[in-house]
Amino acid sequence: MKDIAVLVKASLNPEIVRQGSDGRFDIDYTPLKISDIDRNALEEAARLKGLLGGKVYAISVLSWGPVRARDKDVKLAVQEALAKAADEAYLIEEEEILPTDQAIVASAIAALMKSKGLRPAIVLAGEASVDESTSQVPARVAAKLGYSFVGHVNKIIEVKGDKVVVERDVEEYTEILEVPLPLVISVTQSINEPKPPTLIQIRMASKKPLHVLSAKDIGFTSRPARSIEEMKVVTTSRKQLIIEEANVEKAVEKLLELLHKEGVLR
Amino acid sequence: MIMVVSQAPEDVGELLAVARKLGEPFVLAFQTSAEKVDEVAAYGHKVFRLRSDRPEALFSAANRLYGELRPQLILGPSTKNVRDGLALLAGLHDLPLASEVTQVSDEGSYVRYSRGFMSERVIMTAKVPKPAVLLLKQKAVEPVGKGGKGEVVEVSSEQQGVKLLERRPKQFSGVRIEDAEVVIGVGRGFKSKEDIQLAFELAKALGGQVGATRPIATDLKWLPEDVWIGISGKRIAPKLYFAIGVSGAPQHMAGVSDAKVIVAINKDKAAPIFKYADYGIVGDLYKTLPVLIAKLKRQ
Repeated sequence: MKDIAVLVKASLNPEIVRQGSDGRFDIDYTPLKISDIDRNALEEAARLKGLLGGKVYAISVLSWGPVRARDKDVKLAVQEALAKAADEAYLIEEEEILPTDQAIVASAIAALMKSKGLRPAIVLAGEASVDESTSQVPARVAAKLGYSFVGHVNKIIEVKGDKVVVERDVEEYTEILEVPLPLVISVTQSINEPKPPTLIQIRMASKKPLHVLSAKDIGFTSRPARSIEEMKVVTTSRKQLIIEEANVEKAVEKLLELLHKEGVLR
Repeated sequence: MIMVVSQAPEDVGELLAVARKLGEPFVLAFQTSAEKVDEVAAYGHKVFRLRSDRPEALFSAANRLYGELRPQLILGPSTKNVRDGLALLAGLHDLPLASEVTQVSDEGSYVRYSRGFMSERVIMTAKVPKPAVLLLKQKAVEPVGKGGKGEVVEVSSEQQGVKLLERRPKQFSGVRIEDAEVVIGVGRGFKSKEDIQLAFELAKALGGQVGATRPIATDLKWLPEDVWIGISGKRIAPKLYFAIGVSGAPQHMAGVSDAKVIVAINKDKAAPIFKYADYGIVGDLYKTLPVLIAKLKRQ
C-alpha cells in the first residue's frame, strides 16, 4: 500500500488582470483558481491510486491574502482535489505568511507532513503554477523531505516495487528514467487530459475530511524572506476592431482593407 | 563571490554580464558547457567542469561548491535542467529562487530583481536576502564578450539513484518562427492535422511561417515543438500575427505580446483572443480562410 500526496495551488487567475488607477496590478480584484497543471496531477493521482492501493492526500498552502477574502476560492480548489482524487485534504491558511514565497510553501508542506505523520510514496504536483510560474516548489519539497525528484514528467510508465519509470521532458529531448521511491514528480500538461469531476464526485467530496490548519497547528514558525515591492501591469493596448459580418466575402474584404491601412501586407 | 551555472556556451555571456556587476564570478560548467569547456573558459573566469547533464548531478556539485566557496548569488539560465538542479539546492538551504528574471540590482545584503508574473501580463519587482538563486530570462541583457583564459578544474558529483534508461531527441522543423515577419498561429479550432494545410497556404500567400498553440504542438503533435508559441514555448515579435482558431489563453498570448499587429479568426465571439487582437473576424475558419487565401493570391 503506497500513499500519494498531491500538491494543489490556488493561483491568481492570469485571465483576470486589472490595472489600478496608478498602473499597478489590482491584486485584490483577481480571484484565485486551481492552477491548471495541478488538474493534470490530480488526474494522474486518480489513475495511480487504483494501481498503488493507498490513500490520496491533497495538500494546499494559501499563497495570497488576506485569508478572509481568499478562503472561499482556496477551498473551492481543495474541494476539486477531493472530488477528483483525494480521500482527505490539508489546507494551511496563515495570515502571518502572506503573501508567501516558494521557500515558505515548501517548508510548510514538509512541516505539515511531519506533524501529521504523512509518508506518501509519491508526491505529485504540476510543473508550474499559472501565476508565478517558477517551477520550484516540487523540487524544494523533495529536498526538504529527502525524497528523489523528477521534474517535467510527460508519462508515468510503470511503478515496479520501489522504483518508478517515467518519461521526462526537457527542451531538446525526452528521456526515460528509473527513479527510486519515495519520490516527488512534477507533471506536464501532456501527461493526460484532465476531466472535470462528476456531480457524484462533487457531492462525495463534501463528506470527505478537510483539515484547515494554521502555522501554529503544524509547529511552523518561519516567515517569508521575499518582499514584493511593485507589481506593474504591462500595457499593450490592442485596437479590438472585430468584424461581425455574415457574408464571408465582405468580412474578408474589410479585414484586408484594414491590414492594408496598417501597412503590414506586402 | 557569484556562482554562474552555465548549461551551454551561448548562455555564459549574458550570465556574466549580470554577474560581473554583482561580484567576482566563477563558473560551474554543466551539460554542453562541460563538453565545450574551452569556449566557457575563454571569458577569463575560473571554471569548474561537471561532465554530466543530469539535474541531480548539478544539485550535488553546486551544493558542494556552495558549501566550500559560499557564493552570495547563484546565477543560471531558466532551462528545465538548471531549474530542477538549483531548485533542489534552494530547497535544501531555504534560499530564495526566481526564474525568468529580467533585471537584477545589488542592494548590499539584499538583491532586487524583476520578472514576469501572471503570464507576463504583470512585472513583479521583489527584494530577497542573499544568498539567493536567480535564473535569467534569455536575451534579457546584452552579453559580454570573450577575453582571457580561465583555469579549468574538474568536479564530480555523487549519483543520486536516478537511472537514465533511454534518451530520444525531439523532432524539430528547423523553422525559426521567431525570425519570421508574419506568423500564422494554429489553435484547437482546426479539427484535424490535414486541415492545417489551410494555415500553410495562408502563410505562403503572406510570405510567413506557421506556429502553434501548446495542445497542437505538444499533445496532438500535429506540428513540431519548435513552432510552439507561448510562455514555455517560443516568444515571437512578428509584424503580423494571425491567430486562427486560437482561444487566447494567457500562456499562449504571453508568447505574442510583442507582435505589432494581431489578427484573430474565431467562430466564438466570446473567445478571449478578440480582447488581445487588433483586428478580428467572427467566423468559421473553414469558410473564412479559403476566401482570404484566394483574395491574397489575386492581389
